[in-house]
Amino acid sequence: MPNDLPLKDVKICDFMWVMAGPASTRILADYGATVVRIEAPNRIDTARTLQPFLDSKLGPDSSGLFANCNAGKFGISLDLRNRAAHTVVHDLVRWADVVTESFSPKAMRAWGFDYESLRKVNPNLIMLSSCLMGQTGPLAKIAGFGNMAAAISGFHNLTGWPDRPPAGVFGAYTDYVAPRFTAMAILAALDHRRRTGQGQYIDQSQAECSIHFLGPAILDYTVNGRVEGRVGNSDAAFAPHGVYPAAGDDQWVAIVCRSDDEWRRLCAAMENEKLARDSRYASAAGRLEHRDAIDSSIAAWSRALDRGAIESRLQSQGVPAHQLQNSADAYADPQFAHRGHFVALDHPSLGKFTVEGPRAKLSRTPATVRRAAPALGQDNQHVLETILGYDETRISELAASGALG
Amino acid sequence: MLKPYRVLDLTTERGLLCGQMLGDMGADVVKVEPPGGCSARGIAPFYKDAPHPDRSLYWWAYNRNKRAITLDIERDGGRALLRRLVERADFLIESHNPGYLSQQGLGFSDLARINPALIYVSITPFGQDGPKASYADSDLIVMAAGGPLILAGDDDRPPVRLSVPQAYLHASTDAAVAALAAHHERVRSGLGQHVDLAAQQSVAMATQSNILAAALGSVEPRRTSGGVKLGPLDIPLVFPARDGFVAMVFLFGSALGVFTARLMHFICEHGFCDEATRDKDWIAYGEQLFSGVEPLSEFERVKEILRTFTRNHTKSELLDMAVERGFLITPVATIDEVVESPQFASRGYFHSVAHPELGESFRYPGPFAKFSATPIECRLRPPTIGEHNSEIYRDELGLSEREIAELSRAGII
Repeated sequence: MPNDLPLKDVKICDFMWVMAGPASTRILADYGATVVRIEAPNRIDTARTLQPFLDSKLGPDSSGLFANCNAGKFGISLDLRNRAAHTVVHDLVRWADVVTESFSPKAMRAWGFDYESLRKVNPNLIMLSSCLMGQTGPLAKIAGFGNMAAAISGFHNLTGWPDRPPAGVFGAYTDYVAPRFTAMAILAALDHRRRTGQGQYIDQSQAECSIHFLGPAILDYTVNGRVEGRVGNSDAAFAPHGVYPAAGDDQWVAIVCRSDDEWRRLCAAMENEKLARDSRYASAAGRLEHRDAIDSSIAAWSRALDRGAIESRLQSQGVPAHQLQNSADAYADPQFAHRGHFVALDHPSLGKFTVEGPRAKLSRTPATVRRAAPALGQDNQHVLETILGYDETRISELAASGALG
Repeated sequence: MLKPYRVLDLTTERGLLCGQMLGDMGADVVKVEPPGGCSARGIAPFYKDAPHPDRSLYWWAYNRNKRAITLDIERDGGRALLRRLVERADFLIESHNPGYLSQQGLGFSDLARINPALIYVSITPFGQDGPKASYADSDLIVMAAGGPLILAGDDDRPPVRLSVPQAYLHASTDAAVAALAAHHERVRSGLGQHVDLAAQQSVAMATQSNILAAALGSVEPRRTSGGVKLGPLDIPLVFPARDGFVAMVFLFGSALGVFTARLMHFICEHGFCDEATRDKDWIAYGEQLFSGVEPLSEFERVKEILRTFTRNHTKSELLDMAVERGFLITPVATIDEVVESPQFASRGYFHSVAHPELGESFRYPGPFAKFSATPIECRLRPPTIGEHNSEIYRDELGLSEREIAELSRAGII
């Protein structure tokens, strides 16, 4: 492993599971943190049961979601109901700078792994708990998935058509938003500890951090009393602003005009003199008023054309346009390729396993994906022997106790 | 937590959240705007719907805990001032089109010469280089390019976005993480570096790893109203309630089938389905549907039972059941319900922020997490244009009132 990664000296004892939590420690692993994730041998990580699957085959190691969220980490299997496992946990906590967990509140306390208890083991510890609604409050008990936190934080009600039920948002939305807040909280707390010696406990509600992604709509209510609803793809300032059909089955292209100039260039690219000359459409206000008619004209033009050709033609004229990409399109996309977005890793039992690469490019110390996500208990030996320094006798006793599953 | 650090925030309307997050965590963030103000100040909605550069709620949403100065970086005098600010800055965040700041002599390599420890963060739609780096963009374009847009919508209409722009929020938060990782390394090496974010990559996060489907040889998910279609299976995640909608996880397999079984027992107890339906193998149910052992028509019947059940209850009744019995259900909340939620109130989430210039206070989204030792506070309401020019130019850079007046007359500040 290269030793110049930014977080090469950061050690994380990671109890997180499913999606929002592991996605955050995946980011830190890419930047070089040593992440040891503890996995229960008797209760499967839900992420291992979720799509997409390698070669469409279900299997504990073949979930692309699990692989994507856990690449770069070490895995140890520990049955936390077994007291012998608790000694290992305490040793990992003593080793770690940071403990992370994403169970529903009380689980860690039930095992005796709450912050107050773990701080006795490691007085400078930083511990972060991430769950749907936070550690306190009447809904603290609610366990579940990011789609539930997204719904209760307002995301679903703002996605879709005014005359229809909410059409989205797609999947477990707060699980995409929260991991970045988790990672930045940990890094800032580490800096604070470096300067002051003070560790701390961080209570992260996935709903609360995600609400920052709805800021303008929240303020429109708290300031103006307006309750925004679903508006399809229309925008308050721009028209046209939409998703238009292209040639083929279920093929689409997004087109936006941010200015009158872009509108004129769109009309020119469409070779539509009539639209270009229509004075009602010359200003944004006029186009917003007549957006349905404009959308129809664009759709009538676009539906006969190849979506990629529309994208190229409009972008060459400086008009914002892009084909809607599914995973096959993204995999073939030259820009994603240029950025190295897809990284093929060697999986010990499954061969080539592709995950997403690090998102940020650091010019001097670039992040990297160092290994495929661990199978259950794959790194027991490494963690116990190399990281914790246990001898063979001790490791055998531990295995015999059933603590490793 | 980040109190010792100075951030120069040169972002346009893209990327504003990055500086706010660093500011929330204590950093001294200085927003550097062109003399007329940042373009974000012109974005709706506005206080009382009256456009005004200091009253854009879009601006307010992403600029608290920042001070603001004006500076024309397209002119020599402005560039000279910026270079002086860069000498003592720890981070610079910008979101201009690739190449623009280099043309002004303010690119990463230019500023690294002045301050080798500077971490220079660029947030752009497609990254600093590559075949699409100069593409014209907007939120919708990035969401189309990065994968999330095609996944949501009704199957008989075009795919549809979330109406609050998201793309640059994803990129901004990735940028804040990357900046802090680079900072962690700087503590060892004493050196800064360039951090290059592409919003296209950031929003791919919102596909729930389905961006990998083709690369892995997996089923390509398709959009369906409030759920997802996997091959022949139409899986709803939004259900009707008596007074709106709820989100529900109705899934199968070794982890989630247990929750579904629990819910089906309750539904049966209350007379919404028979025992045979209740006792289906909810763990193996997904595989049975894929293999055809369970006909799709039967799945449709089960979903209708669930809809009948949810339609018979209000959102809050269903939420109470979820809390008491561990069902995977929450209400689809409207924005007023979010803000007035007892859960957020009990945690003191929404913070009242005073706007003395308007003589009013407004509730803002609060701390993104509760830090036991270093709680996040709203120290500064979003700044008005040039609000801190004197503080920075006079008190910090030591310019005289006359020099400031001249710069102002020249339109540089």
